[in-house]
Amino acid sequence: MNEYLRTPIREIISRFPQVGSLLEAHGIGCVPCSLGTCPLGDIVDIHGLAPEVELALMTAIGAIVAPGEAVVLSARPAASSPKKGFSPPMKTLVDEHRLILRLIALVPAVTASLDVHAEDDRQLVVAIVAFIRNYADRFHHAKEEDLLFARFDRESDILQVMYEDHANGRACVKAAVDALERRDPAGVTDNLIAYTEILKQHIRKEDEILYPWMDRKLSTRQVGELFSAFRKIDSAFSEEAGRYEAFVRSLEDKFASNDAEVA
Amino acid sequence: MSGCGCPGSKTMTFEKAEQTETGGAKTSSPSQLRQWPVQLHLVSPVAPYFQGADVLLAADCTAFALGDFHSEWLAGKSLAIACPKLDANQDVYEGKLKSLFEDARINTLTVLIMQVPCCRGLLGMAARALKESGRKVPVRAVVVGLQGDIIQDEWLEG
Ligand SMILES: [Fe+2]
Ligand SMILES: [Fe+2]
Repeated sequence: MNEYLRTPIREIISRFPQVGSLLEAHGIGCVPCSLGTCPLGDIVDIHGLAPEVELALMTAIGAIVAPGEAVVLSARPAASSPKKGFSPPMKTLVDEHRLILRLIALVPAVTASLDVHAEDDRQLVVAIVAFIRNYADRFHHAKEEDLLFARFDRESDILQVMYEDHANGRACVKAAVDALERRDPAGVTDNLIAYTEILKQHIRKEDEILYPWMDRKLSTRQVGELFSAFRKIDSAFSEEAGRYEAFVRSLEDKFASNDAEVA
Repeated sequence: MSGCGCPGSKTMTFEKAEQTETGGAKTSSPSQLRQWPVQLHLVSPVAPYFQGADVLLAADCTAFALGDFHSEWLAGKSLAIACPKLDANQDVYEGKLKSLFEDARINTLTVLIMQVPCCRGLLGMAARALKESGRKVPVRAVVVGLQGDIIQDEWLEG
């Protein structure tokens, strides 16, 4: 089954759909992935499964793709130390995700009552777009792309998926802005909702898979370097970050309470 | 055996497979130490080897408990050692750690302690120095078991 460890997961799933169900049962969501170019061996490695879980999973996959052959595990060394939790620089990115998710949670309520012909409503969309472009993209995604991802192989499949998510998110926001200029309510709503769907999935991938994997790979020195590089950016952006947090809070006061009344 | 004796000084023996003493003739595991002195009372935070460094603050006993102290823990780091149970004048230690954060502008601090309760004092000292410091760096706390296993390995909140 050695050859299958280097085979892109999409190819394996299309030839052996049961493998997709097995991965899903282990919380590895490759079936709906937009690219599917990650090799099977990397996917199992990147999820950092316990050795006995990995053995059971690979045995089950082996029985499907190469019955009768010996099971080959990925070539990573066995995890020898207990789990550390997020390192301080990774923790700041995870905290930023929380604010982005708080904003995203409000988008359905905002778009539900949107009147593109009302100046106030248009200004609200403009403000939400400003949050997405400045806080989520220029501040948060720039730290990821320029500092964190730069320490890994940019061409790797997993990072290509992340860059693609960032780019798709930007495209949705651009389309929403264009629709607002045309006074096209469905265009604004559909594209903002599409953005929230991309980002929710994207943040889940980062929090649950990518960041824990990166934290296992980063050396102590790299953790320290990232921490001080992030702090430099954070302190330059701190006033603006405070304003965006206040903006999300004010939206929550206005829209989250409406939701609560409905619920 | 008394049930309430100090676990830090309780007598224990660990069964290990028989190993032959090589009398120091073997040099296949090179030392990773790149400085002198190493004792926390003797080192100065302004020493060149601390500037911008990844620093290992190791409780004395850890180097004997860990089989891979040099290759896994000391490699690439500058070192300070101390015993929070027996060392005198420990108030000096906290000031030196604060100075490592602020003046030596170290990159990270890894605190390596034994699992015995008295060793926690060293971690507490590092945590207080970090809290007092105007400059924050990631601090990693690693607890070593009596047989050299890693019991806990986590990052402290800045
Ligand atoms: Fe991202
Ligand atoms: Fe992110």
